[in-house]
Amino acid sequence: MVHFAALDYFWVISYLILMIGAGAIFYRLGKRSGSDFFLAGRGLPWWIPATSNFATHTATDTPMWFSSWVYASGLRGMWYSLFAGWCAISAWVSTRIFRRSLASTQAEWQTLRFSGLGSELMRGWMAGWQVALSMFIAGWVGIAMGNVCNYAFGWPLWWGLVIFSSLCCFYVIAAGFWGVVIADVQQGITMFIMAVIVSIWAAIAAGGPSAIVDKLHAMGKGWMLNPFHITGITSGDFPLLWLLTMVAVPFLGGFGMATHFDWFVEAQRIQSAKNVKDASYSIWWGTLVVLVRNSIWAIAVLAFFVLVPNLKDQSDYQLAWFRVGFEILPVGMVGFFFAAIIAIHISSIGSILNLGSMYATRDLYHHYINPKASEKKIVLVGRIMTVVVLLGSFFFGLMIGQDITKWLLFALWLMVAGTWLPNILQVIWWRFNAWGYLSAWVANLGVCWLVVWILPAYGVIPDLPDYIQFWLLIFLVALIYIPVTFLTKPDDMDRLVRVYAQTRPIGFWGPVRREAERRGLIQTIDELDKKAAQETKKEE
Amino acid sequence: MAFIKRKWTAREADEWTKEDWIAIVLSPLSYIFITMGLAMALFLLPLGFILLALGIIFAAIMFWVINPKLDVISSDYEKKQKKYLDELEEIQRWEE
Repeated sequence: MVHFAALDYFWVISYLILMIGAGAIFYRLGKRSGSDFFLAGRGLPWWIPATSNFATHTATDTPMWFSSWVYASGLRGMWYSLFAGWCAISAWVSTRIFRRSLASTQAEWQTLRFSGLGSELMRGWMAGWQVALSMFIAGWVGIAMGNVCNYAFGWPLWWGLVIFSSLCCFYVIAAGFWGVVIADVQQGITMFIMAVIVSIWAAIAAGGPSAIVDKLHAMGKGWMLNPFHITGITSGDFPLLWLLTMVAVPFLGGFGMATHFDWFVEAQRIQSAKNVKDASYSIWWGTLVVLVRNSIWAIAVLAFFVLVPNLKDQSDYQLAWFRVGFEILPVGMVGFFFAAIIAIHISSIGSILNLGSMYATRDLYHHYINPKASEKKIVLVGRIMTVVVLLGSFFFGLMIGQDITKWLLFALWLMVAGTWLPNILQVIWWRFNAWGYLSAWVANLGVCWLVVWILPAYGVIPDLPDYIQFWLLIFLVALIYIPVTFLTKPDDMDRLVRVYAQTRPIGFWGPVRREAERRGLIQTIDELDKKAAQETKKEE
Repeated sequence: MAFIKRKWTAREADEWTKEDWIAIVLSPLSYIFITMGLAMALFLLPLGFILLALGIIFAAIMFWVINPKLDVISSDYEKKQKKYLDELEEIQRWEE
């Protein structure tokens, strides 16, 4: 049990006042329009959405699964967290394309990219999926807070889940995305400072970096310091094929949209940036800080491993980073540490509540139920939907309980496997249509549960390694959406030409480009080459 | 003509060119090298410092290559943005 001194209480109370104050201060901006409530008016400089990205992706569950992987696998466990690497390519490809589309949400993009009934069904599907997913993620992050408070103060799990998410909901309702991003900036700074402080303290407690290295070697665990330590091509607990999968999948996914759960959070920040360049920078730099944070956390986790080496149960060692903070930091700093945990928690919850509310309001209510809704009404519905997503998160949070990491691997990798390639195809291939895309989403939902849970449970197929499940799911779902794509008509050429001229997607868009050139919407390659040659001549 | 183009017209910048592909290749490398390099460097391992330095150099080259092109794309697109936003609202408020 953790006991607070007066200074500890000071940190926590000050922090909560600061958070709720953000809602009050930005209340007037948030209520101006739907664009303000959900996208902060589309005018933010890159460093605000970048910090917001970092803050959102540092949730209460994040140090848990990161600790879990590094405690069990050493520095090579960091590869699991490299799923954030999709932003490396996305920043220069799909971010640019999506920002130019100006679609408020990924669901809205469907009605720009595709045409006809298929596009509307796809928009509705994606919006509904995103609302449910926001509830799930907020529940997942919320119950992680329940676990932390249970460990630190002995509270029942649901207290930590309900109290802090509800407090956060207050400023999201008041100020919408304005409140979220501005709070994220100071939350991001707070949590980064705390990550550094905890790592320094942990390293000192373990005798310093060199002492940690020596002790690991003495324990016969020197391999934990090598992130490239593989156990064979396909054998062992960390084979080369798993490593290559973890590198290839996120990075190549950057060519597409929605290739990862985080894409939906990023999409909102991409559209909140003031221009294309700021959108790209916000994605690249925000993710770099996430990755740097992981490197800083790693030393704290391995220091904890040296100090407490024999934990066997994942539910024990997943709390490594939190235990370092609560057990090693001096009195007075523990309160600051807990304030940082609150920051970590509510920055993510705030973003997810606003995101889920945006899909429910913009894509379901505004597009399908009341297309002529006034801005005032849209903001009001946005606020109501924020509360609905919060209530849904309580349901999912209590369902997940203490199995945070077990759910994570399934949710992060396997539930997105079947749609991974279609998410890329929608950007790079003109012929991929709404029916192919919709069939991939529906098929993936069924096939992933079958392959991962149901068929192994009945002994129909063996328990396969995660990376084999991943590629198997890609293959099985492709057997459905590729025939569907070719058996249905291409999207309307007018729509394709319009989206091509506006967003200029990368990849296989030959027929659409030629049509756009024929209509005089873009210059031909020959004209561009001629112009470049003339300029070169002039320079000479 | 220099291998890396530093001056762009709006129309040229709209095309996908080798400068984009250089950024596409260097960006993942810099992420991997900085992440793994920093983690190892914090344990004072020499390989960590080498990887970290490489990651930073790759990132610097990437921005040097892509930045002029992004500047032009951004400023050109901002001029058209208002028209596109109006069209988007029409799709959103589809009811007659």
